[in-house]
Amino acid sequence: MLTYIGRRILQMIPVFIGVTILLFILRAPGVLPGDPIKLITGERAISPALYNQIVKENALDKPLWYQYGRWMDHLFHGDLGESYQLKRPVADILIEKFPNTLKLALVAILIECFMGMAAGILSAVKRYSFWDVLVTLSTSILVSLPVFWLGMILQVIFGIKFKEWGLPYLPISGMTSADFPGWVHYVLPAVTLASISTAYAARITRSQLLEVMGQDYMRTASAKGLTGGQVIWRHGLKNALIPVVTYLGLDLGAMVGGTILTETVFNWPGIGFQIYRAILSRDWPIVLGAVVIIVILVMIINLLVDISYAFLDPRIRYGRVAK
Amino acid sequence: MPPLLEVDDLHMHFFTRDGIVKAVDGVSFSLEPRETLGVVGESGSGKSVTALSIMRLIPEPPGKVVKGDIRFRGDSILAMGEKEQRKLRGNRIAMIFQDPMTSLNPVYRIGKQIAEPLRIHKNMSRKDSWDAAVELLKQVGIPQAADRARSYPHEFSGGMRQRAMIAIALACGPDVLIADEPTTALDVTIQAQILELIQEIQARTESAIIMITHDLGVVADVADHVLVMYAGRAVEFGTADDVFYRPLHPYTWGLLESLPRHDVDEKGQLCPIKGQPPSLINLPQGCAFRPRCAYSQGVCTMERSGLVEITPGHFSACQFSGDSGFVEKACGFLSRER
Repeated sequence: MLTYIGRRILQMIPVFIGVTILLFILRAPGVLPGDPIKLITGERAISPALYNQIVKENALDKPLWYQYGRWMDHLFHGDLGESYQLKRPVADILIEKFPNTLKLALVAILIECFMGMAAGILSAVKRYSFWDVLVTLSTSILVSLPVFWLGMILQVIFGIKFKEWGLPYLPISGMTSADFPGWVHYVLPAVTLASISTAYAARITRSQLLEVMGQDYMRTASAKGLTGGQVIWRHGLKNALIPVVTYLGLDLGAMVGGTILTETVFNWPGIGFQIYRAILSRDWPIVLGAVVIIVILVMIINLLVDISYAFLDPRIRYGRVAK
Repeated sequence: MPPLLEVDDLHMHFFTRDGIVKAVDGVSFSLEPRETLGVVGESGSGKSVTALSIMRLIPEPPGKVVKGDIRFRGDSILAMGEKEQRKLRGNRIAMIFQDPMTSLNPVYRIGKQIAEPLRIHKNMSRKDSWDAAVELLKQVGIPQAADRARSYPHEFSGGMRQRAMIAIALACGPDVLIADEPTTALDVTIQAQILELIQEIQARTESAIIMITHDLGVVADVADHVLVMYAGRAVEFGTADDVFYRPLHPYTWGLLESLPRHDVDEKGQLCPIKGQPPSLINLPQGCAFRPRCAYSQGVCTMERSGLVEITPGHFSACQFSGDSGFVEKACGFLSRER
């Protein structure tokens, strides 16, 4: 197991180098539009001397491989450069924004786990019942709704209309406000963010559990005299949940980097919203820094998912030699 | 004193979209302590369904007992509540399944799976039940049982897994052990070991065994009585000696004849029973075996006869079994050494 983890960590190094090189190629002149000097200085005219100074400071006159090495060197010293627009260190901006995204992602993952699995188990156990039809139908609808549309509809109903009708309503923007305790701000964005994945988690749980319920070892468990519930909880779920864990893990990875839509709709001060704004203004250091951090986080999450397999499924005790 | 286990005119039908599958259509037998009953027949003859019905492991729907009863020590299992049925299952009546490769849960340690029935039926603690599981593994012939109990199923070979399944079935010291083709999925040398183990256990524990198989050799080795099934019904029942040396039903003759003969010519032709078992949705009129029977006559299409006692304790469902001249026809292959 330890050798496996060690090997997996070593495998992360080439992946990391590959991704960063790819990002750097985008920076080569002519690949993406826009002159970085203009972005740093704004539209006002500057003297050639100042221009040359900025080029030198940022090593923009050096070949790309040199810039890459320089950037890597800085990265390992915790320096991700400075935002062109905000004139602040990128590291500071990311440290400020990342926790907001992570908190939202964790709340969303919790919703997915509990709601998704519960709905999936219910519809598998009560197959073809009213509940099964309800779950199947609502998951079909959920997966086909665009996230930004769902977010806006929720804002309209639970934020604006409820307020108009004098019902208890929910905040629709930002993480804090004077009118609400902090956690209430999580409700709508987290539900929106979790919606599609909850539906997928429910479907995967259902199909996996149905498949597992047809397995011989489930019959063995019944033959031991366990109740129907014990058979499913003790013998069914642990087998059925392996693919669900994979899915949720990958989804957490995706959410860490890609909650741009939800964060934008809800004005959530997270990394996705920040990336969105940085791309619009071609604030290259922020995009690069954020993507690199996301890559690292996704790799760590994937590693954790793989390790969790080993606990769920002993057949995947990696690298262990059979006695 | 009522028999230990009694299956009385059991009809287990499956209600499917294509029609009613009469998987078991009138089977009766009874079992006494220490007795071994062999149940033989082709695939689809209703052997396994009979066993699963006793365990109440047939999902209902689609299955349904439309007629008949199953009694354990005189009490109807079918009339019991779910809770009482569970108290029998895995405790007084236990079952060994056909495919040990898939019958163990891949994510739990062998020891835990063996300990599980003890924990539910005997209320044993985690520690005590684990120790008992190690002891059971020893009894079924697994070396270094204390270590092996910590293994997962994928670390066991097929034969070892079947031993582990037997240990699970034996955990609570059942009165009836149902073995549903316990050796079919194993290779021949292991088959013999597993059969020996089952017999050895029976000698030690005094449980009764229902041995379901399509391998007549297995039954000849272990059974006291033999029930031959065809298309959901019993066609012949008697002591193992009667059924093997004085068989009465043409289907039994066919089964015996189809055994490979090692004594004559190794390259000799096999003699299978021609044709296919009938559809259980649409049974032929009269005797279900008639379309494949070399001896059928007009009267066979008329009605289906139930088991009739031909000689004391020896029953056959063939109209002609009472006719000694007819039975003589079987002599050709019966004379040979078996």
